[in-house]
Amino acid sequence: MKPEERPKAAFFDFAGCEGDQLQVANLEEKILDLLNIVELVSFREVMTEHSDDYDVAFIEGSITNSHDAERLNGIRENADVLVAIGACATIGGINSIRNVQDFEKVQERVYGDEREHYEAWEKAKPAKAVVEVDYEVHGCPIDREEFLHVVQSVVMGREPNIPDHPVCVECKLNENVCAFERDEFCVGPVTRAGCDSCCVNEGAICWGCRGLIDNPNEEAHEEVLEEYGLTAEEVIKKFDLYFAWQQEAREDE
Amino acid sequence: MKIIKKNVFEGLVDELIENDEREIIGVQSKDSKYVFDRLEKAEGLELDYDVTILPPKKYFMPQRETLVEYETREGLEMEPVNEVIPRIIIGIHPYDLEAIKQMDKVFADSPKDSNYLEKRENSVLIGVNMQQTSDWSFAGSMGTATVDDGYDLMLTDLGKKYAVEIGSSKGSDLLEKISEDVRDASPEEIDKVEKAKEEIKDEFDKELDFSPQKLPSLLADTYDQDDFWEENAEDCYSCGTCNIVCPTCYCFDVQDFSDISLEEGERMRQWDGCMLEAFAEVAGGENFREERAERYRHRYMRKGRYLYNRFGDIACVGCGRCSSQCVPDIADPTDIFNKLWRGKDE
Repeated sequence: MKPEERPKAAFFDFAGCEGDQLQVANLEEKILDLLNIVELVSFREVMTEHSDDYDVAFIEGSITNSHDAERLNGIRENADVLVAIGACATIGGINSIRNVQDFEKVQERVYGDEREHYEAWEKAKPAKAVVEVDYEVHGCPIDREEFLHVVQSVVMGREPNIPDHPVCVECKLNENVCAFERDEFCVGPVTRAGCDSCCVNEGAICWGCRGLIDNPNEEAHEEVLEEYGLTAEEVIKKFDLYFAWQQEAREDE
Repeated sequence: MKIIKKNVFEGLVDELIENDEREIIGVQSKDSKYVFDRLEKAEGLELDYDVTILPPKKYFMPQRETLVEYETREGLEMEPVNEVIPRIIIGIHPYDLEAIKQMDKVFADSPKDSNYLEKRENSVLIGVNMQQTSDWSFAGSMGTATVDDGYDLMLTDLGKKYAVEIGSSKGSDLLEKISEDVRDASPEEIDKVEKAKEEIKDEFDKELDFSPQKLPSLLADTYDQDDFWEENAEDCYSCGTCNIVCPTCYCFDVQDFSDISLEEGERMRQWDGCMLEAFAEVAGGENFREERAERYRHRYMRKGRYLYNRFGDIACVGCGRCSSQCVPDIADPTDIFNKLWRGKDE
């Protein structure tokens, strides 16, 4: 690709920890390969320059107030392609835990006496709840290889290969002992794969950071978790860490 | 039939690990379960095991495998890839040997799959007769609790020694290395092996209530019982676990992965499963088995009927991996097949 043909790319952060942009910065030598196919014009974590002339916008973080929404709308208007990166931007992420909590308490916990000075929505939202999103890179944090794969897909104008099957597939391919057989509980059976079951490979469980698959069997999974001895409340907590926004959106459908 | 002392066998395995060019694979424990994995030392071998998480087919058809490498710097250049690592695999149970025999037929069928066949040809299979059974296995019903062939060597535990049956010259070549310590089995030892093989057949908790040969017609007759399939598939996650752990599932998906330079890449295949929602989706978005129940039924049809019609084998070997690893516990073939059998006259 000729240097002048590269699309211009810019990163923007909303409510989130910037861990996904850090994953991109941590591409290290591969960042040079990335620069062969895109021209970075704005990326606060690695450069001081900034330009509003960009083709591809990468959005990190969830959208939590009207100021965010206005800014995101502006970016959408400016960009040809908008890519949400990381769980906060794709599914609301852990910010959406507050979506199922008492909002006044949430505000008080965060801002204390100053809470009236901070405008915030009751519910944290992913980018797609506010503007049209063209591509998504799931995960908390994102997987670097998958990020590169999606950028490539953007540049080539093709559909990226993002699995729509549960994490169980990768867990079995990796020959892990199932969390349920270790007397633990996991949301892998309803969570989108693509992470190579990295948490379970290390002996942990799946927390669901890549969000629900398109057609999860949540009812079956709730029954299973209860059968394995979790109370209804514990089951709901299992699902709320990452799924709060998605579950509500599914109910509204 | 030959006899070798256990310590001699272990010595042979250590010698092979040390000096043989081939990779030595054996059954080993992983947490509370068992897996086939590369052996570091003979003492890591666990030959008295119930069942492994994945079957040994992963050595002939790896979970992920590069088929083609390509580059586009000066026009399109492609090279086929087949990474063959010669291996000796120790500790394969009879039901898995039967499954490998079936897979050999499938992959040798036209068009031949050289990636599978070359790996298979470069493997030595050392089987072992079962001493314990998995709680979910029903190999006794499927006629796969013992086998007469399909191995290069077959071990039976006789306390401080192994009885060894020779299945091929690849197997007997291995025994050459310890020929001084190998002797013919006595009539009593042969009787003991025969008795052990007879006895294991009755050790299975799970059973099929009828001859597996009746599965093809039973499944043809019950294909249209939509309510039955829907009811049983209700709790299915469509997670593909039952497919992936199955020794006779061989479907795969092929995708191209381009390097970030966009100038080179790989064509890869990865195990796929007919229970996964996207499995039967084609270009344009049409999905031939969109409903959970349709996919659920398909798996049983394939195991008990479709593959029989093509290759003459009942493609369930009764290992019980699918049912033991199904989290909502809806994948037990004996449960489904027996229910269909009991309901067939109603």
